[in-house]
Amino acid sequence: MRRFLAGIGLVTIAAAAFAAQVKSRGAASAPITMDVYSDFQCPGCKALYETTLQPLIQNYVDKGKVLLVHHEYPLPIHSHSMEAACYACAANRVGKYDQVCDVLFRKQESWAATGKVDETVCSVLTAEEARKVRALAKDQSVIAEVQSDIQAGRAAHVDGTPTVILTHRLKQYRIPTGAGYDILRRFIDQLLTN
Amino acid sequence: MRHALLSLRLALAAVFLYAAYTKLRQPWLLFAMSIDSYQILPEWAVLALGRTLPWLEAVVGALLITGMFLRYVAAGATALLAAFFAMMLRAFLKGMGIDCGCFGLGEAISARTLLRDGLLLAGSLALTWLALRQRWRAKNNDDIISGILRP
Repeated sequence: MRRFLAGIGLVTIAAAAFAAQVKSRGAASAPITMDVYSDFQCPGCKALYETTLQPLIQNYVDKGKVLLVHHEYPLPIHSHSMEAACYACAANRVGKYDQVCDVLFRKQESWAATGKVDETVCSVLTAEEARKVRALAKDQSVIAEVQSDIQAGRAAHVDGTPTVILTHRLKQYRIPTGAGYDILRRFIDQLLTN
Repeated sequence: MRHALLSLRLALAAVFLYAAYTKLRQPWLLFAMSIDSYQILPEWAVLALGRTLPWLEAVVGALLITGMFLRYVAAGATALLAAFFAMMLRAFLKGMGIDCGCFGLGEAISARTLLRDGLLLAGSLALTWLALRQRWRAKNNDDIISGILRP
C-alpha cells in the first residue's frame, strides 16, 4: 500500500513538473489541440499572435474548446530570438509566460533592433520575478527545454514560423501561414460540430 | 509540332489533376485559408473559390487529357496560371511569407515556386499558341480545298 501511494506521489510530482514546462493554455480535455511553433523575432508570428491567437484564446481556448500549446522555434537568422525564447521559458516557470509573450510581441520591433530582451521582459515582472527569470534564462534546463521544442518542431516537419498544427481526434491539420481568424474560426467550428 | 502539342497538353493535364487532387483530399476550408492568406479577396469570394477552384482545376485537367475544346481550355488554363502567378509574385515581393497553396499545404512561396509556376505559365501559353495555330492551319487548308473543289 505504501509503495502504491509513493508511486502515485511520484507520478503526480512528475506530471506537475511536466505541466510546469509545457507552455499551454486551456483545458487539457479540450477536443482540439493547437500547437503553435513560433519565433518571438518573426513579424509573421507577431501578426499571428495579435490578429489570430488573441481572439482565438478569448473565444475558444478560455471556453475549453481548444488547448493552445506554445513551442519555441527560434530561427538562426534572428539574432535575439534564442535569448527571447529562453526568457519566455524561464518566465513560464514563474507563471508569467502569457505576460512575457505579450510584451515580447508587442515591443518586437524595439528589442529586435536594440537587443534589449532582458529589459523588455523584466518590464512586466516584479523585482523578485525578474531576478528568478534572469537566472533561469541562463539555466541549462531552460536551454534544453528550448532545444527540445526545436526538436519537436523538426519532428513535426516545421520548416518556418509561424507553423500552426491542429489536432482533432488524432488527425492533424496544418494551418496555412497567414490565414485570417475568420476562416480559421469556421474550420474550428466545423471540427467541433463533426 | 503534333508531338509538342500532345506532350504539353498531357503535362499540363497532369499538373492540373495533381493540384486538384492535393486540394480535394483535405478539408476545403484549409484551401480557403490558403487563399485568404493572400489578403486580396473578401471572405465570401475566398469561401466560394475554396469550394470551387479545386473542381475547376480537375475539369481543366480532364478536358486537357481528352483534348476537347482545346483552344478554349488552353486559354482558360493560361488565364488561371497567370492569375496564380501574379498573386504569388505580389505576395513574394511584399515579403508576406505565406504558403503557396498550389499543391496542398506547407510550401512557402519562394523563388523556386515562382520559377515553377512561371514555367507552367510559359508552357500553357505555348500550348494555347500551338492550339490556335493548328486550328488556323486546319481552317486555311479547308479554305484551299473548298477553293479547289469549287466549280
